[in-house]
Order: sequence, then C-alpha cells, then structure tokens
Amino acid sequence: MLDGVRLDIGAGRCTVIVGPSGAGKSTLLRLLNRLEEPTAGRLWFSGAPIAGYDVLELRRRVGLVQQAPVLLAESVLEDLRIAVPQLSPEAASELLARVGLPADFLSRATGTLSGGEAQRVCLARALALNPEVLLLDEPTSALDAFAAQSVEHVVLASLARGLTTVLVAHDLRQAERLADDVVVLIAGRVADAGPVQRVFAEPANAGARRFLAGVT
Amino acid sequence: MSSVFVPSWAGVGLSLLLVAGCVAVVIRERLGLAREVSIAAARAGVQLIAVGALLDWLFAHAGLAGSLGWVAAMVLIAGGVSAGRGAGIPRARLVSTVAVGTAVTLTLGLLVLARVVTTSPRVLVPVGGMVVSGALQATSLTLLRLRDAARDSRRQVEARLALGQSGREAFAPYVRAALRNALTPTIDSTKVVGLISLPGAMTGLILAGVAPLAAIRYQVVVMYMLLGAWAVAALVAARLTGRMLFDDAHRLRPLGRR
Repeated sequence: MLDGVRLDIGAGRCTVIVGPSGAGKSTLLRLLNRLEEPTAGRLWFSGAPIAGYDVLELRRRVGLVQQAPVLLAESVLEDLRIAVPQLSPEAASELLARVGLPADFLSRATGTLSGGEAQRVCLARALALNPEVLLLDEPTSALDAFAAQSVEHVVLASLARGLTTVLVAHDLRQAERLADDVVVLIAGRVADAGPVQRVFAEPANAGARRFLAGVT
Repeated sequence: MSSVFVPSWAGVGLSLLLVAGCVAVVIRERLGLAREVSIAAARAGVQLIAVGALLDWLFAHAGLAGSLGWVAAMVLIAGGVSAGRGAGIPRARLVSTVAVGTAVTLTLGLLVLARVVTTSPRVLVPVGGMVVSGALQATSLTLLRLRDAARDSRRQVEARLALGQSGREAFAPYVRAALRNALTPTIDSTKVVGLISLPGAMTGLILAGVAPLAAIRYQVVVMYMLLGAWAVAALVAARLTGRMLFDDAHRLRPLGRR
C-alpha cells in the first residue's frame, strides 16, 4: 500500500498527513507504533530503529487515538485507569482538565458521553501515559463541528507543551490550522512534504497541486 | 444384573412405528422435513448398530491399548469438529485438539490413577466418550466466542494494544467472557442434576439393575469429572487461541478464511 515513503517527522512539531481515501494515511500512522509492520524498509525513533525497542514500551511512548472514540470501561475514571492502573483521582482530574472536561466527569458512565466528550476522554487516556509522540487518526471525522473544535483545542494545547504530534486529517482547513508540516500522500507515495505554508502555497508537483486544489 | 430387561430386535423394529408417526405428523403439517426425519432415524439406527458391534469386539479383544486408541480417535474427531466453530482462528484445529486432549488426559487420567474408575475397556470407552463430549462442547463455545470477539472487537483490542498492553492483557476481558460463557451450561446442569434431569450414567446403571444409591456414586464422579473437563478444555482453548491471535509484536492477526 505504501511505497518509497521517506519522511522526517520533526520533534515537538505537528505533522499533518493528508491525501485521498485509500492513500495509506492510516497505515502510515499505524506503522509508527507498530500496529502494522513494513514489508520492506525501516522506521527510526529517537535515533534508533523502532524494531529495536520493546514494542510495549514503544507504544507507551508513541500514543495513538483512533478515528472514532473507543471507550473501554464503564466509567471515565476506570477508562483512564486502563492506561495507568494506579492513576489517582487527582491525576485523573488533571488529565480531564487538559482535555477541557470538568472533574465530575470521572464518575460519569462512558455510555452517556457525547461523541466529542468520548473522543476527549480517549485523548486524556492516551495522554495519561505521558507519551513523547501522539498519533491521531482523523480524530474529528466522526464529530460535529463544535465537538471537532473542542478536540482541536486539546491538540493545540498539547502542541504548546511540546508534544510531537502526527495527525491524519481529511479536512485541509484543519490541516492548515494545526500543522507545522504537511505530508501529501497519494496512492501510497509522498507527493509532497514540507512546511504547511510552502506546501499549500507552492505544491511541489502536479499530483499534490491537483489534490490540494480539488479538495479546497 | 441378570434381571436386566433389554428390548428384543423385534421390539426395536416395533419402535420404528414411532418414527412413522413422527413422519406422518411432519407430512400432515407440510413441514417439508419428512425426508430429513427418515434419514436421521435411519442414520441413528445404523450408527448405533455399528458402534454396538464395534464395542462388542473392543470389549472382548482390544484391551487397554485398544481402549486408549479409541479415546484418542474420539479426541481427534472432536478436535476437528470443534475447530469448525473457530474457523478463521490461526491453527484452530491444533488449538481445539490440544484443548480436548488435555482435558481428557487430566480428568480421566486422574480418576484412573486414583483408581476411582478402572482401566477396563467397558469403563474407559464410555466414560472417555462422556468426557470427550463435554470437552468438545466447552472448546467449541470458547472458540466461537473468541473468534467473534477478535472479529467484532478489533478496534477495542487495538485501542488497548495502543496503550502498551500485551496481546494477552488486551484480550483478557474477552477471554474471561468466553470462559464464563463456556462454563455456564455445565454449572447450570450440575446445579439441577437429579432435580429436573436424571443423567445418563445414573439412568443407564439403574436400567441395568444397579441400586439407585450405588448408581449415584458413579454419577457424582462423572459429573465432577465433566465439570473439570469443561473447565480445563475451555481454559486451554482460550489461552492457546489468545496466543495464536497475536504475533510476536503483540498485533492482532487478521482472521483467516477456512
């Protein structure tokens, strides 16, 4: 699905991957925490091949939030404790504050949360592990505009704290709002990659230009 | 034992009238099942006559080795049947055969070693059959449930893996649910034994002229053995399935097609 992909993802930056459906965006993201394995080539993380890391440790350092919210326990506190079993209520409240949810949400049943609230709990759960990198697979595509905005605020706040973020986006305006760097992936190949202003203003080739013009 | 009443072959033939009655009802109600009922009844008769003849020979000539061979064959057949319930799970046949085999070896072996049952073919073969049948059901229920979990809850499992859980940890809630599901029928039937059902071993012994209070001793052993066999088979099937479903990098493998 992916072929000849060569990318550098800058630490502390937000890299947004865009491209048409089926281009391999989610596959690329899943390669970064080894939920997929490349058939050829190598990935490096912090100066070492990722295959050399203990995979469970790697996944705790490289968190992933899926497209549609996936809650795993009955209550919000229990859900956060799936990431960190000994998480104190105080630490859990702080995590909720980071994603813009009040502390009384800790006792809420996960089944009663709206889509936006659920996705923010998923973000809080990923942040509970204090990851060095956060992978977000179209985290707002299943949400309404208001909920999507609340999730974007969380991403921006995390970026402000220096968290390296790789985000797959279906919405180019969202990419423009959040990205430091953009990767345009078309049919499994990198059509263009670079700082967001440059890629949007002067796409490197016809394929990237067509995609960016066609969607916007 | 000399007072045992066994129907004559003529009596068996006469009981075919009941099958004819069943077929008549099916035809009258236009259920379209007449052919199926007739075939099922004929198959049952032929199969039981063949098994009866085979067991007659086995009890007379085969000895311990033949009986163990018979039980081993039952384990292999049960493994194949149960694997069908877990179609898509990598190496499902191996998983189910090992699960049934382990359950039978442990429970039957323990009872033989403790001299609770004898190694006579007349005991080993029917008791082995009961334990294989119980282990088969437990294994099938476990594989079915875990296969469905791996297919329907992939996103939930991957969400757990993405949090740094091992495959075993990520799949643990589904394993627990599958074990509970597999053990419920045998727990329920153990609870009501003697109250709403007279179980097979005890009924057989009573029909053979054994005093009811003596017959229940056999039944209690069989029941506890079945409980053990169900638990061991379900546990082994669940653990092995969990291992087969994840690769070395703790990724949930795609389910195959049979």
